[in-house]
Amino acid sequence: MKVLVAGEKPEQVITTANYAKSLNPAQVVAAAFKPFTENELAMLGGAGVEKLIHIPEKYLASGAAASAAALAELVKKLDPALVLIYASKKGVEICGRLAQRLDAAYASEAFAVEKGEKGFVAKRLVLGGGYVATVSLNSKPALASVKVSASETSQGMKPAVEEFDPGIDAPAVEVLETIKPEKTRVDLEKASLIVSVGRGFKKKEDLSLAEELAKLIGAEIGCSRPISGDLKWLEEERHIGLSGKRVRPNLYIALGISGQVQHLVGMRDSKTVIAVNIDPNAPMATESDYYFVADLYKILPLTIEILKKKLGS
Amino acid sequence: MPDIVVCVKQTVDVYQLKPHPETLAPQLSQAQWKNSDFDLNAVEEAVRIKEKSGGKVVVVSVGPEVKQLLVRECLAMGADEAYILSDPSLAQADGAATAKALAAVIKTASPKWDIILCGEASLDQNAYQTGPRLAEIFNVPHVSYVNKLEVGDRVLKAWRAVEDGVEVVSCSLPAVVTVGLEINTPRLPSLLMIRAAQKKPLKELSLNDVGLTKDDLMPRAETLEVKALKTERRRQVFEGKVEELAEKLAERIIAHMGGRR
Repeated sequence: MKVLVAGEKPEQVITTANYAKSLNPAQVVAAAFKPFTENELAMLGGAGVEKLIHIPEKYLASGAAASAAALAELVKKLDPALVLIYASKKGVEICGRLAQRLDAAYASEAFAVEKGEKGFVAKRLVLGGGYVATVSLNSKPALASVKVSASETSQGMKPAVEEFDPGIDAPAVEVLETIKPEKTRVDLEKASLIVSVGRGFKKKEDLSLAEELAKLIGAEIGCSRPISGDLKWLEEERHIGLSGKRVRPNLYIALGISGQVQHLVGMRDSKTVIAVNIDPNAPMATESDYYFVADLYKILPLTIEILKKKLGS
Repeated sequence: MPDIVVCVKQTVDVYQLKPHPETLAPQLSQAQWKNSDFDLNAVEEAVRIKEKSGGKVVVVSVGPEVKQLLVRECLAMGADEAYILSDPSLAQADGAATAKALAAVIKTASPKWDIILCGEASLDQNAYQTGPRLAEIFNVPHVSYVNKLEVGDRVLKAWRAVEDGVEVVSCSLPAVVTVGLEINTPRLPSLLMIRAAQKKPLKELSLNDVGLTKDDLMPRAETLEVKALKTERRRQVFEGKVEELAEKLAERIIAHMGGRR
């Protein structure tokens, strides 16, 4: 069985290749639009990739249509049983067009892909993230965009690198400008302590209570979608949930978050969950290890004072 | 004066959905139906473009049993006409079948369109497929994850949110655009608008009308099972005087924050 893995960025290709190993494929070929460093090549080799096919970056730069068209030509040439593409936002839109082009069975944002009785089986979150759908992919190739996290990586024999330019035209989208986020980037996915805020806070200024707590214990600040989306009190990169970050800290402290399924999917892998909410019946109650029914505005200042004393700062 | 098609999916209200206590399957038969959230953002954006530049807004909805009442909501928001295709075979639809059905309706109902607007993903499937697939079927460019849109003469400019920041992009029309929650706040139609919507054209099409057979709508990806996720938590609830709660909260935080200070 041959598997083709691809992704927008080198580290995403490596992550996807490492994931593909779990399927025990006979051969893994990687495809990428961006150049790999020597170190990244060794990591790709460590993930069991024999060959890296470099597609000119101009295809990625022209948008999803051109990227999908180029990948489709490569798939026709290689004839893999399975194509896995890392589910970055661009990866997902490329995969949608690719599936349409190849008329292949496709599961988007799968968190697991397994060998089934006939073909492959993908698992993905549906219905707001509270449910898992098991989807059978009975076509050759089967196609999945995968949202998997990086496993242990190791260095290995550098794969051979081949160039592949299919010389194909597709409707283009021109990038005029990329506006980078202003603030320094936060890596919530790697944070071991997270203080997360929701609609229980009534004003933007009140978030200072959560920020003080976070600073005291060395936690990152996260939030539910309304805080970064509708209200724009915090940057989008702090949004935890279905369309935001998926985090797995040792301790997740949810302040004033009711616990809509879309949020829960982003924090479910936390080791311990502490929540504070005024509503004893909010869904977060059953998703917490310790659920405090209290008014944020009353309990937080007291808790901060106690922590200051106990932590000696 | 762009002609805009908006694709609107009707889904179960996932916020109200409860799993069966034993099988963990979603209890769909008891669920309420609604227009998928992001699709209403797409309708709102289409109406705003029309208000600024003229043109026409056509709503298209396909599914196992499209409810006219929900389509009327989109008309009340300001769309001009609607076409719906209901067929039981669409209950099992995957992204491929949905896109095929939508494309067939669009070709029949509004073949000369300039922009197709969709929500970036649906509330129930969250698959992010419909927009890119439609663009591939019509061989046009698409822009996904759009949170700001400007439509000019035969060209569009869009701001789209990706991991690296906001990409400002441009492409020629016709094009497909998918939008998220941040692009706008869908309007709540007034009573007057709701009444006016009753007179707007809403046409039911059959598979035959749009040149499709049931075989065309066979899913390529077949859903075998849907089950609620279960989390194992201690679920200890603390209630009472806030001074005591604060003490306990501080204790729990210290116990679980690890070695760092």
